[in-house]
This record gives sequence, C-alpha cells and structure tokens, in this order.
Amino acid sequence: MEKNKDTLGLHTFMQDRKTLFCYSGPLTEDLLTTISNPVRHQLSDDETKETVAKRVFGVFIEQAQNIIRYSTQKTKSTGDSIGTIAISVADDGFMIEAVNKIDESKKDVLEATLVELSVADQKALRQMYKQRLRDGPPEDSEGAGLGFIEMARRVKHFEFNFVESGDGALFVYRGWVS
Amino acid sequence: MKFEKTQRTPLVELGSNSCLIKGECYPENIAEWSGPVLEALKKTLGDANAAFNVDIELYYFNSSSAKFLFDFFEFLEESSEEGKKIKINWRYRAEDDTMLEAGEDFQEDITACEFNLVIVEYANEDQAQE
Repeated sequence: MEKNKDTLGLHTFMQDRKTLFCYSGPLTEDLLTTISNPVRHQLSDDETKETVAKRVFGVFIEQAQNIIRYSTQKTKSTGDSIGTIAISVADDGFMIEAVNKIDESKKDVLEATLVELSVADQKALRQMYKQRLRDGPPEDSEGAGLGFIEMARRVKHFEFNFVESGDGALFVYRGWVS
Repeated sequence: MKFEKTQRTPLVELGSNSCLIKGECYPENIAEWSGPVLEALKKTLGDANAAFNVDIELYYFNSSSAKFLFDFFEFLEESSEEGKKIKINWRYRAEDDTMLEAGEDFQEDITACEFNLVIVEYANEDQAQE
C-alpha cells in the first residue's frame, strides 16, 4: 500500500509540476541518441516556436553531456555516469534542470565560472564564447570548455547551487528558456 | 566522397571543387567523427584545380562541435593564404538567430576566404522532411 502511494505520488508530482520529460539514472551517449528524438517531439507542438524548441534542446544536450562527462556517481558494473535531467513547462516557456554529483575539489572553480556567467550580458557571453574557442579547452575539460557558456547564451536566466551529500557535492542547475 | 548523415552528424559531401555540410552536429565524440572528415577535406582541397566552394547549412551544433568548425575554418583560411581560392557560404534559416550569430562569429576571424551569410528560404514540404 505504501509503495502504491509512492507511485501515485510520483505521477501526481510530475504532472503537477508540468514535467514533459524526466530521466534519472545512468546516462550514456547511446541513451542520449535514443532519447533525443522523443524529447524533440515533446517540444515540437504547434504552440512552441521552433527557435524556442531549439534553444531548449540545445541546453538539454549540453546538460546531458555534462552529466555523462562529469558526474562522479557511477554504476558499479559499467562505470556509466548517474544523474537526473528534466524538462518542464514553465510560466512563459520551459525549465530545464539537471542534478549530478561532482568532484568536491572542482566545486570552487565551477562556482566561480557560473557566477561570472550569471552576471554577464548576451554581448559579453558571445565574446567569452569566441575567446574560449580561440584559446581552446581548459586542461580538465573533456569537451571544448564551452558548454556552460553555450547554455548561458540560450537561457533567459539560470540558477545553480551545491548541496552536500556524503561523498561529494550534488550540483543542481536550473535554466529557463522562453 | 560522401559521409552520410546520421541522427547526430551532418551530411558531408566532397566534390572535386566543393564541400557541402548539411544537417545537425552533436556527435558522441567529435574528434572521432571530424578526424576522417578533415582528412578527406585536406585531400580534396589539395587536389582541387579551380575555385573551391564550401556550403555549410547547419540547424544545430553543440558546443563540442563548435571547436571542429573553428578548426575547419582555420584550415580553410590557411589554405587560402597559401593561394587557394575559397568561397564559404554559411547558410541559415531566416528566423534562426542562433545560426546567424554563429556564422557572424566565424566570419569575424576570416579574412583570406570569401565568407557569405546566406538566408535559406524553405518550402513547407522541405521542412517536413527533416
């Protein structure tokens, strides 16, 4: 009976917060390939402008690849990265959110980067993106080091925080697109 | 030479004096995909015997792929400085500010090649097929 309540609670919770898509668990590039089309389909109703849908999709891809590359919580058998990613309908657009465990020692650098990005205007972000492209990726980046700048350019605004959780910190990111 | 389009990589078509890149680019591993593409482009451009035309029409690329495009244009610039005549058409849809801005940003670093921003208009049937 208790479990039944949980299941119903999960359904009601997701419906009430207008979550269109949510995945929580091991995330791989193969899985990302598989879910890309359904996610895009969810965003492509007649009322959503194509440019908005593309921005949401862009932020979604960057967040998913951040989880795949940087989550420090891994499955025991295959070492796949674990995290949560979701897209919900927000007041005048969409909210994209992601949670994953990160290396505690990377927290300060990440925090400083995101604070810098959160106060930069579009013009400054564009300049930072170009500069990063010319300079090449930072040493500990597995991508081009551009992901968070790209996301900041596509969202209207974003929030983030770090939550202590035993053997590391949980990184929480929320971005709004409209 | 042709690299077929996949869900996460664009079509790349190399003719004797041309290169077309069309689609979306957010592969699992950009280096794995772009390595052979850049190799083939180098060979094609090396053998080219007339003005070389590059058409790029991307609808979406992720941040990792931006680095590939940067390297791609850098190579074209170097080739142009060495004497190749190269024309690049960056094609974007009228409403697509993201791709327009991306094109403008790449254009800023390009001086030796001719670089044009070209608006693409689509009939409805074309869009439905993508």
